[in-house]
Amino acid sequence: MSDKVFEPEITAFMCIYCGYMAADTASALRIEYPANVKLIKLPCTGKTDTRYLLKAFEDGADGVYVVACPKGNCHHVRGNERGELKVEYTKKILDNIGLGGERLNMYFMSGGQGKSFAEAAQEMTDRIREMGPNPLRK
Amino acid sequence: MIRKHHQPAASVLVVGGGIGGMRAAVDLAEAGLKVYLTERDPGLGGRVAQLGYMFPTHDCVLCRGTSDHGYGCTRPAISPAFMDHNRHPNIEIMTRTTLKRAEGQAGDFRITLLREPRYVDPTLCTNCGLCAIACPERLPSEFQENLVTRNAIHKSAPRSLPDTYYIDKGDYCEGCNRCVDVCPTNAINLDEEPWEETIHVGAIILAMGYSLTDPIDLEEFGYGRHLNVVHSMQYERYVSRSGPTEGLLLRPSDNTPPKRIAWLQCIGSRDQKHPYCSSICCMYATKEAVLAKQRLDDVHTQIFIMDERAFSKEYNAYFHRSTSQYGVEYTRCRISSIQEDPKTKDLIVQYPDPKKGGQITEGRFDMVVLSVGVEPPSGATVISSQLGFDLNQYGFCQTDKFNPLETSQPGIYVCGAFSSPKDIAETIIDSAGAAGDVMRMFQDKLGSSYSTREYPFLTDQEFPPETDIQGQDPRIGVFSCRCYPTMEGIIDIDGLLEKSADFPHVVHTENIEYGCFPEGLQKIKDAIKNHKLNRVVVAACSHRTHESLFQKTVREAGLNSYLMEMVNLRGFAAWVHPHQPELASRKGLELVRVGVGRAAELEPIYKSSIPPHRRALVLGGGVAGMTAAISIADSGFDVVLVEKDEYLGGNLHKVQFLVEGDNPNKLLRDLVNRIIAHEHITVMTRTMLKEHNGHVGAYHAVLSHHDGSLSEISHGVTIVATGGQETRVDQYLMGEHPAVLTSLELEDKLAYHLEDVTDLKQVVMIQCVKPKEEIYEYCSRICCISTIKNALRLKTVNPDCQVTVLYKDIITYGFREQYYTEARERGVVFVRYDDQHKPVADQNNGQIVVRLQEQMLDRELILEPDLLVLSTSIQPSKGTRELAKILKVPISNEGFFLEAHIKMRPMDFMEEGIFVCGMAHYPKFIEESISQAQAAAGRATTILSKNPFHYGGTVAVVDPEKCVGCLTCMRVCPFEIPRISDEYTGVGELGGAAYIEPTLCHGCGTCTTECPANAIQLLNYTDNQIMVPDFPILGSWVEL
Repeated sequence: MSDKVFEPEITAFMCIYCGYMAADTASALRIEYPANVKLIKLPCTGKTDTRYLLKAFEDGADGVYVVACPKGNCHHVRGNERGELKVEYTKKILDNIGLGGERLNMYFMSGGQGKSFAEAAQEMTDRIREMGPNPLRK
Repeated sequence: MIRKHHQPAASVLVVGGGIGGMRAAVDLAEAGLKVYLTERDPGLGGRVAQLGYMFPTHDCVLCRGTSDHGYGCTRPAISPAFMDHNRHPNIEIMTRTTLKRAEGQAGDFRITLLREPRYVDPTLCTNCGLCAIACPERLPSEFQENLVTRNAIHKSAPRSLPDTYYIDKGDYCEGCNRCVDVCPTNAINLDEEPWEETIHVGAIILAMGYSLTDPIDLEEFGYGRHLNVVHSMQYERYVSRSGPTEGLLLRPSDNTPPKRIAWLQCIGSRDQKHPYCSSICCMYATKEAVLAKQRLDDVHTQIFIMDERAFSKEYNAYFHRSTSQYGVEYTRCRISSIQEDPKTKDLIVQYPDPKKGGQITEGRFDMVVLSVGVEPPSGATVISSQLGFDLNQYGFCQTDKFNPLETSQPGIYVCGAFSSPKDIAETIIDSAGAAGDVMRMFQDKLGSSYSTREYPFLTDQEFPPETDIQGQDPRIGVFSCRCYPTMEGIIDIDGLLEKSADFPHVVHTENIEYGCFPEGLQKIKDAIKNHKLNRVVVAACSHRTHESLFQKTVREAGLNSYLMEMVNLRGFAAWVHPHQPELASRKGLELVRVGVGRAAELEPIYKSSIPPHRRALVLGGGVAGMTAAISIADSGFDVVLVEKDEYLGGNLHKVQFLVEGDNPNKLLRDLVNRIIAHEHITVMTRTMLKEHNGHVGAYHAVLSHHDGSLSEISHGVTIVATGGQETRVDQYLMGEHPAVLTSLELEDKLAYHLEDVTDLKQVVMIQCVKPKEEIYEYCSRICCISTIKNALRLKTVNPDCQVTVLYKDIITYGFREQYYTEARERGVVFVRYDDQHKPVADQNNGQIVVRLQEQMLDRELILEPDLLVLSTSIQPSKGTRELAKILKVPISNEGFFLEAHIKMRPMDFMEEGIFVCGMAHYPKFIEESISQAQAAAGRATTILSKNPFHYGGTVAVVDPEKCVGCLTCMRVCPFEIPRISDEYTGVGELGGAAYIEPTLCHGCGTCTTECPANAIQLLNYTDNQIMVPDFPILGSWVEL
């Protein structure tokens, strides 16, 4: 990694329904987005666990985000809304420990929205670039 | 030639691969019959695949509808059976295929099919898309309703089924061969010729759908001339997230968001050329207007409409929400023409404005949507003469009132919009019903085509015994698919494999040219054996499309399917970072590292199985319950039919004649006789359900009889058909004046006491009368036709009687419109009222006086009828709520039973194994009850014919020793599955711990993350498998 430009390492959790499908759509349409994001699949964003999000930061992620089905359109009715509560709660913890809740975010999109998927990756990359590296990183 | 003992072919032809054909095909395949599913177009999904959202749920159809619903789901619905690498082994999909010739009769048809080539071999196409990039031809895209263009070689939809390219040769493709030259797998053959294929089937289901009215023929609306006039299907594409603008609504002339949008209803419906109602347009226009309101701030949406036909479950509430919550405006009139302002391209319509006392006003709109109607599918006449079945006067398939899913030709069935305009839910009911009808025909053949859901994929294969990996250290093999040349120059695959070899537990790495080809799969299997691998990582393409293929491959090599982890190298690294090869390679390696970390933690997962109790319990002995019982019994399974009254028949006893002229008493007699005589049916009258426990395939019920005695039965499935009833009200003098009747009471007089009606001078009928305590407004669906039926009969026996119908909206959907027309022609007067101006009834010295503020004339109307007839709402049967508690199933806002999904699963409960049909589901006509009963029976038969029935897999499992019984899981589960079971002991030896029934769990994992004691783990997604304690994968990336 070059010393000059900070390239963040971001972890995105996504459900295997809309989230995964949106990522797939982006790839089928060859929509480019920053290569700073690695994708971890969950059966539903209702499976978003505060411990998973914190573990990602503890393991050194500079930013984390969650990609879910649109509200009202979760494959599991309201798993995405439960996931959102977890994200909000974790943001507060991040604020309290000085890491910054801004390092964590959540996006809702339909499986057809490849462009939105790419935009989310871009937005998070830009945001974390500005915030700098995760202070927990050695 | 008639053969004496001909062997019926245990196979079925389903014509049409839309949502209806797909549903029918899956049910038949699950019942163990071979299915040929033919589709004229290159992809499955039909109209529904083009829709973005469904009313009234606003669910995205993409997920729930066709293409991907159920990927990864433990409880798959329709489409996983159609994914290319997980296709149901009993279904053969034939795209671009039409019927050429037909011979034979029911049980023994020989059908010759004409198969048009796709020019791309689906077994060789890797979906790399290089051909489309090379193709020089651009044509309007049919999937996007001509709003954008596509290449001559293309996929019919972004997520088409089958998921492969094809060439539309038409007049466009000049055979330039550029696609052939770039195709890395030589999958394209431009010289392919159409061919004929003959199949032998026992039955045929027609699921051909419908055509849309082409508005180009209606010149007055300017479609095709005025840029900003679009038809409703084009609008659907604009608001669909998979549409050309990803859901951004823009007006065509200048690509700006419209500020004022109008919908014109009944374009190609309820007119002289189409004297029927298309049934779906009122609701889809409402949905489209709501979508506009949700997407655009301050947009004005106005729907020009005659009657708002919101006649199904939750539709009325949705319609009211569209006005109260979203501010959609409805104007009651029919627009006759549209003018365009040539400068601004705005559109001008003239209409009577109710806000200005009905004065004719000019409305200016940025965009006008034509709500086009439903026409018979193209090709209907051809296929009707080929197969020899009748079409009705409108060109749709002719059906019989009491056999709504049969054509006039034995052995040929029909479902969905081909028999009359229908929405998604009704189509699904029809298709499952037609499949159920066919199962009866094949009783002794059910299960003759083997398939199993034992694995995470569908198969008809037997596999070698599984290797026991218990106690072994992980030995991981990493395989990368080169997918030549799509990742060439982007991902350094050799470097990736070299570095992967250093990851913990990796003992073997191998590069494969094409991982999805048989040679590639064989290499994986060989390596598993040669290197004693017990975990496999495949770095290739999408989980969605290929996970089941590789799961199957490792199982063939003796490994449990869940010991395979996929990495989407192509989709998540190569194709989205083509200009940053270094970064793409690093990301690819990191994704492989994550895969390896997770793979080391993978554990085998097994489904459970039981042989189902081959008996059905049917609750309710009305037309729905009796039909379902006969259908299941005809398929060869025992049925216990429970009725709380003394007699079978239910509401059918109260129906004396029908508007179509058919005899309901004959239906009643036929059904009861068949029930009584049937060897497989046990009838228990004056009996109620007291207890209901167990799960699909293994239920246990306690029944209580009128004499106080109890009996017990074990059964595999339960069907709820407990019906509904006409309500009595205490309004409009009902109960106070003897000449105030309900609609059914008038029907009784018209049938048996004609002397009471022959001298009547004036009769007033009031529609939509609901009891005061009923707060939730819904349409009872059948009352308008009952009223028209009575009015027509009254006019026949007493032509001079003046009949006035006071109504809110006349609900004569489909072909029932003709009776509305006939009633008006014969002098029945229809006067509209609304909630602000309701009719009032008083009596003056024994004379009934009805007053109504008539809005068109703005004048008070005073009527003095001899008879006042009230159309009161249909409510669920008494005891519905209690029964729902016993069955542990939900109730809808209207008080009827609530199915798993209003559109996609209208006869299923969320609990697999319990089904609903008839008026217990919602008020409906006899033919609709029969269809749904057959649908419920068909779905039940798929379970009863399984041996064994598999369940479980990637579900949540509670460790009772950690459970404190806090009920959190019960609270957060979206499906209310967890419960506290006495059979387990929780923390501190306390009796009772949470239990999650594996036949019901959907595997979302919500409970596992909320459990404060961390007592629940989701199989295949355990905490260790996600967080991987020894090998951090969630944070920092691999160092190069």
